[in-house]
Amino acid sequence: MFNIQMTYNKNLFNLFVFIFIISSCSSMNVTEEVVYDGGISTVEASIQEDYPLEYETKAIFTNATVYFEFDKFNLNNKSLQTLKSAVAAMKNNPSIKITISGHADERGTREYNLALGQRRAEAVRDYFAVNGINSNRIIVKSFGEERPLSSGSDESSYAKNRRAEIN
Amino acid sequence: MKKNLILLILLSQPIISELVLEITKGSDNPYTVALINFKGSKSATNEIKNIVKNDLDRTGEFKILENNKLLSIPTNEENINYSDFKILGIDYILMGSVVEEDRSNISATYKVFDVKKESQIRSSKVFGVPNKLRQLSHYISDGVYEEITGLKGIASTRLLYVKEESSKGSSLFKLIVADADGANEQILLKSTEPIISPSWSPDSKQVAYVSFETGMAKVFTQNIASGKREIVLENKYQISSPSWSPNGKFLSLTLYQDGNAEIYILNLKNKNLTRLTNHYSIDTESSWSPNGSKIMFTSGRSGSPQLYEINLRQSNAKPKRITFEGNYNAKGSYLPSGEGVIFVHRKNSNFQIALKYFNENFVRPLTNSQLDESPSISPNGNVIVYAISENGIGLLAGVTLSGARFRLPTKIGEVREPSWSGFLR
Repeated sequence: MFNIQMTYNKNLFNLFVFIFIISSCSSMNVTEEVVYDGGISTVEASIQEDYPLEYETKAIFTNATVYFEFDKFNLNNKSLQTLKSAVAAMKNNPSIKITISGHADERGTREYNLALGQRRAEAVRDYFAVNGINSNRIIVKSFGEERPLSSGSDESSYAKNRRAEIN
Repeated sequence: MKKNLILLILLSQPIISELVLEITKGSDNPYTVALINFKGSKSATNEIKNIVKNDLDRTGEFKILENNKLLSIPTNEENINYSDFKILGIDYILMGSVVEEDRSNISATYKVFDVKKESQIRSSKVFGVPNKLRQLSHYISDGVYEEITGLKGIASTRLLYVKEESSKGSSLFKLIVADADGANEQILLKSTEPIISPSWSPDSKQVAYVSFETGMAKVFTQNIASGKREIVLENKYQISSPSWSPNGKFLSLTLYQDGNAEIYILNLKNKNLTRLTNHYSIDTESSWSPNGSKIMFTSGRSGSPQLYEINLRQSNAKPKRITFEGNYNAKGSYLPSGEGVIFVHRKNSNFQIALKYFNENFVRPLTNSQLDESPSISPNGNVIVYAISENGIGLLAGVTLSGARFRLPTKIGEVREPSWSGFLR
């Protein structure tokens, strides 16, 4: 699943030496130390999406996105309108599967935002579920604040980034 | 011959743009130290002197005077004219010598003198490698720091962080390890997908982090020297927020397999999982207390993110809320003394780094910009490094508990998610 390519970019010696000697000299103790020198290796991650989507899926759900308030994951009326047509498309095309990705704005901590993005994606999944769409047709995940749509640090950018994308 | 050639090529990989540490505010009452030029070859002694001076300067707790600021220059311990140093308000004298034993060995001897007591208080010898004078110098700085302040020095420790470099609309994410002063950057991982939440194993030989390379957050561990890495758990759910237990045997993690962020403890040897939280709201960002008896985490159970801790020594212990001031307190970590916690605190619309001691009922803000995050404390408990956003660009900054401040700007890309190693010395 992961191809790892390694480059040894520093020294090939992997030395871990730690010596701490106290030897008494005429007036006082002398500390002796040996510099620790661990080597470092660089790894390159090869990218592989684990659930590639079929072409058909993408064509139907392009740009289905719903938005949220700061630190919230409840769906508003506008979101419900968007999701209604998505549910209809899912019912008309029983073979297709979707991925819902939740996102957050940059404010607050990255891990909390990852969890918040997940809650947003789950809120959308739950809407599909109560409207009769089987959850095994849906993959839910979060990118937290790591994939902003807009890079600005202002409320209008933040509002665009607090979203769940269906595709 | 051929072998040597290959080695040369590998060693000469271009050094990526380093961070440059800038002190923005020093301590109000620093120790004054006379740094006498070391004896030995000029190139080596100059480099050592500069690194030691920078190391001590950036602690914010020292004022360094070099030869040109002194009234007399002693050539050895017998001819120190202490009154020349007392007049200048100097507290300590540092002198030493460097000997290149042979091509692969160099040693430095250094001595510290207390001006008030008119006596030598330390004599140490450090052995290193000639082309690695930086590490040898950091050892000298740490020895001097420890002798004078009573705290272990952190010049020889390292920082782990994430750098994002963007060009033509695509991003490259790098997990980087560098010396504590930002120099000597080396790449641990390169990826086109985000990397977050890096953290050190307690022996500082491994790191754990979250990588999105599979299209979803997953936790990996990686050996720094060998590059060997593994995914900690194989399943189809997100896994995030790794934190090593102080004994190195466990990782606390946030798992999403229950349909919601919950904290688990993973036994790294047998891969057994123990569930720690069970609540319909978000629970994440776990971190261990220094003696491993408690785990602190961020939870949304009160309606806003707040810090809680669980006593691991008590069966069925209920999480105890530890922050009450403000509506956003997250990503906490314990001070090495266990006497308090540092965390991200929202005040008005600003996110700041704050400190709370357990025996106080108020929060002490440590920073004052708008989007400060990811605080990590040095192993001696004295310095906090964190991520800031300046004109939309991420960079690292630091603050000492004595009030000194510094920044670590970068020339290329954005830097974030710093994590401080343990002691390497």
